[in-house]
Amino acid sequence: MKSYCGRLLYIDLTAESIEKKEIPEDYLLNYIGGSGLAVRIIFDLVDPAIDPLSPENVLVFMTGPLTGTIMPTGARMTVAAKSPLTKGWGEAHAGGFWATELKKAGYDGIVVTGRADKPSYIYICNDEVQIGDASKLWRLDTYQSDLELRRITGEDVKCAVIGPAGENFVNVAGIFFDISLDGPRAAGRCGIGAVMGSKNLKGIAVKGSRSVEVADPQRLREYLKRILPSIMSFPTTQIYSAYGTAGEVAPLYIYGDFPIKDFSLGVWDGVKNLEGEAVAEKIVKGRRACFNCPIGCWRYVNCEVDGEKVTGRAVEYESLGALGSLLMIDDSAKVAYLHQLCNRVGVDVISTGVTIAWLIEAFEKGLIDQEMLNGLQPRWGDYKFIENMIKMIGGRDGIGDLLARGVREASKAVKGSESFAMHSKGLEIPMHDPRAFMGMGLQYATSNRGACHLYGFVLRIEQGERVTDLGIHERVQRFDIRGKGRIVAIMQDWSEVIEAMGFCKFLQVTPGHVASIYSLAVGIRTTAKDLYMKGTMIFHLKRIFNLACGITPREDTLPDRLLREPLSEGGAAGKVVELAEMLREYYEYRGWKEDGYPRKGTLSNLGLLELIKGSRFTAYKELLNKIE
Amino acid sequence: MNEIELFSEDELKEEIIRISKTLYERSLITALGGNISARLPGANEFWITPSQVFKGALKPEDLVKLNMEGEIIEGILKPSIEWPMHAAIYKVRLDVNAIVHAHNPTVLGLTLAGKKLKSTITDEAVILLRRIEEIEFKFPGTVYLAEAVSSAASKGGRAIVLKNHGVLGLGTNLLEAEAIVELLEAIATIEFICYALGKEPEEVPPEEIEVAKKYWGI
Repeated sequence: MKSYCGRLLYIDLTAESIEKKEIPEDYLLNYIGGSGLAVRIIFDLVDPAIDPLSPENVLVFMTGPLTGTIMPTGARMTVAAKSPLTKGWGEAHAGGFWATELKKAGYDGIVVTGRADKPSYIYICNDEVQIGDASKLWRLDTYQSDLELRRITGEDVKCAVIGPAGENFVNVAGIFFDISLDGPRAAGRCGIGAVMGSKNLKGIAVKGSRSVEVADPQRLREYLKRILPSIMSFPTTQIYSAYGTAGEVAPLYIYGDFPIKDFSLGVWDGVKNLEGEAVAEKIVKGRRACFNCPIGCWRYVNCEVDGEKVTGRAVEYESLGALGSLLMIDDSAKVAYLHQLCNRVGVDVISTGVTIAWLIEAFEKGLIDQEMLNGLQPRWGDYKFIENMIKMIGGRDGIGDLLARGVREASKAVKGSESFAMHSKGLEIPMHDPRAFMGMGLQYATSNRGACHLYGFVLRIEQGERVTDLGIHERVQRFDIRGKGRIVAIMQDWSEVIEAMGFCKFLQVTPGHVASIYSLAVGIRTTAKDLYMKGTMIFHLKRIFNLACGITPREDTLPDRLLREPLSEGGAAGKVVELAEMLREYYEYRGWKEDGYPRKGTLSNLGLLELIKGSRFTAYKELLNKIE
Repeated sequence: MNEIELFSEDELKEEIIRISKTLYERSLITALGGNISARLPGANEFWITPSQVFKGALKPEDLVKLNMEGEIIEGILKPSIEWPMHAAIYKVRLDVNAIVHAHNPTVLGLTLAGKKLKSTITDEAVILLRRIEEIEFKFPGTVYLAEAVSSAASKGGRAIVLKNHGVLGLGTNLLEAEAIVELLEAIATIEFICYALGKEPEEVPPEEIEVAKKYWGI
């Protein structure tokens, strides 16, 4: 099968062993790559009962078949493990250049097991792979770590590193890629950086010199050249290209989608300073792109905040929400500064912003014990306080130790605060208020990694998009309930395909075109329907992993704020997420029982029942008994 | 190729490409608009143009062969999103072996201005178009459009106007379907000229229409 390297790098840090193993062809055929292949490997190797921060957890870096090919935006990868934040399926994604470099070195992915006895790094240069001593890098922030790792291994390597947060097992820590190339791409979510930290693994430096071969390069090139103009004319693609993801702030605010003050306000004047044009005018100095990307959605920022310089990638739609409107910061330069601080410390901006917003609100409501705060005065819009909090989370200092556990765990320690702890399954809610788009509420509640905006992004359908290739012909209204179960399921399953492929969702390629591109790249003719079936299977395997981890369907839910507290103003005024009815329809469409457990017949049709039965881990056997 | 077949599938594909180029050059479709399909008489599979590829310079390997459920039998590119509309027509019209869908500007202009196209203003139109069906706007690529088109096609006509969208020419072969699309544009242009000059277009004498009606069973 072309466009794959066909092999994975298995690195056991306990035994200090390095193995290059062929990937079974049926794995590639059925699980495609990226997060699809990652879930199969984790299913094989990880006992769902383990502690996510134990050496028994497995950290998988996985590219897709289109990563590193001529396919525009083919720069994506997945990092997966059992999540310390959700205690279930964990995955995070990043673009940039690292994933392409890994394929150029000859590997589709890396599977890291065990725990090194001292701080370590991995160096990969084609067939040469070494485990090195990273003691000198320990305690350095991500920027310094990247610099130091390149100093040790060579200027032309591409690096993935963790910051102090990952070393300190902060549940919202991420992994940061390509910092030297104008700022990091973050695989931020699910505390995947803490898993890397728990392995005493500070960074991975990669250098490759091969090219990724596709099955029919001439025809693929010609096809892409022919369809690209129409794909690039897609409205949101043009917005991303013109203003970066910040371009979405203004249009989505009108819907009431852009969250303000911990999801408690629908209207706020400060938003006008966070809109794409305002941000561009104030702090943006250039446009940058990931490997082979014609969109170039990320922005090079250059500004100063109270004498502190901010340069590189430091502002996105999500950070303008999580570190801006959510905390009532209305200055894009300050948001950029806080974003960069999160990058340096090594934490996810979404989870960090949501957790700090919860703290401020809990303090405001008088729920936080003064002793816990040690003299700190949480206040909306106070960027110095937020700066302090980010540092304290990274270092697990004082109240930062509580926040470092993520908003779910933190809220359990503060009576009366759980209703506004904004998470689902422990993963903090991204910057799309589901009271503005009901389907997003169902998506958050049922996504396998917790509140995830990437798997489905059904708000596009609720804005009026149709996906006829997947049978979504109808125009749905955003506040409608009926029909959302089906649409969310379809879009989640198709998103599995895109994440498995290794290219970016911002390129609006229709399913039929994806099938054509895959066929020409891999050399196996496929259809959108075939790929979709694989997406459904991958989604279910993640669900099964979660159930085996003890995450019951009762956790297919949202915080009370979204279910019971309507906003008084704005585009979503008066609405709450009517989850129960959507969930019923969703379970039924998926072929699950009313209690949210998949039926045996459904698993059997997807070819998963035999796989689960064959697992060596007791958790799956117990799960099968429950499904009976 | 079966000895008794008049056309081979390769010839069908070449003809589809020729028509697509002609329609583009005549401004009846835009660079990415329109779609064309054809099948060997009686076949349950058809060849169709690809989606989002420039229609002025298609190649045989760009075309996709589908069955009536839209499953790809041959070809690698994504088929036109309008395949459900084509399949729906083939299912209800065994006499139709070719469908040309274009975006005729003059036809649309007149229709959207509230003027009804007349198939009785030239002898050619009387014979070839016979009658013109018109359907309300349905979003392209959806099953709703396919259902509406299927319903219109099942009345036996060969020319269908899709409001705010375009036209369909249905033929026993590709040339006929192409001719219907071109003829629709021709009569729309004639009518437009008449209206521009402040006149109602005069129809072919009634007795001639009567003869044609009897002869053709219209």
